[in-house]
Amino acid sequence: MRRAKYIGFILILLFCGMQNALAQSPNSLVITGDRLVLTIDLKSSSAQIDSILKVAGIVAKTSAVKKDEFAAINNDGWQLASQQDGIARFERLLADADYDPQDMPFKITAEIPSIEGKPGYPGQVEFGINKYAKMTVMELASGLTRFILPGFERSKRVFLSGSFNNWSTLKGLMTRTEGGWILDEKLDAGVYEYKYIADGRWMTDPNNLQSVNDGAGNTNSVYFKYNYKFRLAGFAAAHKVAVSGDFNNWDPFELGMQKKGTAWERRLYLGDGRHEYRFMVDGQWITDPANPSKISSEEKNKSDDKYAYLNSVLKLGEPVTLKLEGRQAAKTVVLAGDFGNIEAADLKMEKKGGSWVVRLVLSPGNYDYRFIVDGVPLRDPANPHYSVKNGEEWSFLAVSPNYTFRLAHHARAKKVALCGIFNNWDPSGYTMDHQNDEWTISFHLKKGKYLYKFRVDGDWVRDPGNKLWEDDDGNDNSVLWIE
Amino acid sequence: MDTFLNALSFLERVGVRRPVNFAKTATCNRQTGSFYADTRLMRKLYLLLFCIACCFPAWAHKKITICGITFKNVHLDPDPAPIADFKTLVVPIKRAGNLIIVEATVDNLEGNFVLDTGAPYLVLNETYFRDAPRIEDEDAGGVNGQAGSAFKTYVRNFRILDLQYSRLTADVTDLSAIENGRGIKVLGLLGTRLFSKFALTIDLFHNELYVQRLDERNEIPETERIYRNPYMVTSFKYDNDVVFMKGAINGHSFLFAFDTGAESSLLEYRITKKTGEDMEVISRSKLTGIGGSVFEVIYARFDNLRIGNQVFMKNRVLLTDLEKMGRVYGASIDGVLGYDFFARGIFTINFAKKEFEMYIYTNQ
Repeated sequence: MRRAKYIGFILILLFCGMQNALAQSPNSLVITGDRLVLTIDLKSSSAQIDSILKVAGIVAKTSAVKKDEFAAINNDGWQLASQQDGIARFERLLADADYDPQDMPFKITAEIPSIEGKPGYPGQVEFGINKYAKMTVMELASGLTRFILPGFERSKRVFLSGSFNNWSTLKGLMTRTEGGWILDEKLDAGVYEYKYIADGRWMTDPNNLQSVNDGAGNTNSVYFKYNYKFRLAGFAAAHKVAVSGDFNNWDPFELGMQKKGTAWERRLYLGDGRHEYRFMVDGQWITDPANPSKISSEEKNKSDDKYAYLNSVLKLGEPVTLKLEGRQAAKTVVLAGDFGNIEAADLKMEKKGGSWVVRLVLSPGNYDYRFIVDGVPLRDPANPHYSVKNGEEWSFLAVSPNYTFRLAHHARAKKVALCGIFNNWDPSGYTMDHQNDEWTISFHLKKGKYLYKFRVDGDWVRDPGNKLWEDDDGNDNSVLWIE
Repeated sequence: MDTFLNALSFLERVGVRRPVNFAKTATCNRQTGSFYADTRLMRKLYLLLFCIACCFPAWAHKKITICGITFKNVHLDPDPAPIADFKTLVVPIKRAGNLIIVEATVDNLEGNFVLDTGAPYLVLNETYFRDAPRIEDEDAGGVNGQAGSAFKTYVRNFRILDLQYSRLTADVTDLSAIENGRGIKVLGLLGTRLFSKFALTIDLFHNELYVQRLDERNEIPETERIYRNPYMVTSFKYDNDVVFMKGAINGHSFLFAFDTGAESSLLEYRITKKTGEDMEVISRSKLTGIGGSVFEVIYARFDNLRIGNQVFMKNRVLLTDLEKMGRVYGASIDGVLGYDFFARGIFTINFAKKEFEMYIYTNQ
């Protein structure tokens, strides 16, 4: 009996194994000897054939392959070695591949696309608040942010390293003080990841309760430099006041406000853009009495909303005014461009004193725009900076620019343009403005490396004012690091 | 004249002394702008160089070009030993893709360097060191010079925290491929010769690099050892500043270079017929390299790679043509052990004892 049970068990195991074997794809790509061997079972599913063609790097239509049409496979250098019982076997000599031999391994492997994005550098966030067990990171009246690491008295040196200093392991040397280490950093409002390095060893901030996994196996502490304060005056008798908005999915409990004198306050980091919000005072929603800008559910024309509501509206960013002189006979003038989260109604231009005007609040960045005058697109005639896309001219606007490209002289040039990786090296480029014997254009550039070149009346010119350049197969491109 | 002063200043920096009254003469010359004074200075300089040449005939003949002026038969000391005021130095490392990044200081310039055991010595990125003085080694036999390098130079005051080099020979070459591929500013590569008197332990789990001084038996002193009972130990050959390890695939012996700068292990495509077993291809794709050249990437997986006393399974390799690399290394290699291999554990490379140890191992 026991033996029968044992045999039964073995049979079940064998059956399970068979199931696995049956489920496996009959298709394969292997290296046998000096060649690649691709085996395709033409009876297998389209998904299975798709998958093996992808592994083999062959661009071919699965439906065609299933019908014994192998032209695309042959064009990729594969020879049909055999075809029997619906199984096609292709071969390709390993020696036939274009290997791009190099003298150093990194020259091959650095070309392989990076797996992740940019670990350690937080992306854009809607809002954020700090959570510390002990306030060891604080804002000083001078505008600097002070980082304090208590203890570690026996350490020889401690560094602060984070997204604000390019994760430098040398720049953020902290100063030894009684009972710990301190360093003041100049930060713009935003979200940052950081760590301490005590005697060569990385560590998160022991007093910071917020950390994030950077996706590359590291845990980093997170700090928000605040840029906004919600304030609600009065309501002295209230017990609980909170602010919530679209930025925190209207969570009414997350952002409690503190009583400061005669008002309730909440400081936080709030991302640029348009936000709707309300206060909750002892369970009752109210709009911000100090903010005249409001929007109702009817205005938003969302009839599917269950309840009618009124929200306060806040726009964070840089105020920008765009103007088109003249065109008084026009019926409508609309601003066109990709401005992110901006309502279409806000892009309508108004006639004011002989010109058309629109006022926007924009996040720092680079924008292409144009005016649509009675349906006809028009580049901003008052703006010397523009680019050409698909044969159409778009004006260029940098909000909060942080870098100006300059090319001295070339006074007789008709057109000087800036080209680079920011416009995919399109030779038409961004036109520059000529003033005081200098051609200039300003950009808002994020941290990173930029390759660029000027184009003077059609001739490529490397930036003579920049000592950094690199050679790309005979092209000497200027190199700019925004750090 | 400025050019000339720069040249003199450089010679002084690399070990050639400037005449005592030179600065004064140079100032006079700058004021008068006289050609005669220039010529007189040149004569003095050549005379000086000639004297030094006579005094130290045993060293290599070199030619230095600084700002367009070439000095022949200049004699330079070999790189002095580094100052290492520590027993164990812990250096924080960073990662970019699969690269190991160490920050160092050259003169007053701080920046990122790739820890690259595939490079023989210091390599500097041409973008930032294009104007460095050029030195031509007239009797370079081919093995010392990095192929494809733009030129050879010297740097002073190179520092990795407490590890200081008063002078280092360096190649200057184009490293833009790493910068553009990984989005990180790279000043250069730290090759093996920088650490030839030390043991390096790399802990990729905590992102720490340990540089350790060795005792008279070329061992890490017992009290300084961080990890014990290695999982794997193997000796290696250290020729031309390259680490060569013997290994076997399915029992067939092959020669590998060990390279922390290789973000993937590499295998010579010609040896697949000698490995005796099929390899599964993970992917075959085409990539665009420098200058728009299209090249093929074949990733394969195989089991049974024996290095030292251990067998490594599920090894991912990129198949390629390693002939050119072998010529630079001065030995025909069958493969390069890169990230896929060394990321499996904490490892120590003792360059003086020529021994490699691995402590933690994940057989995945």
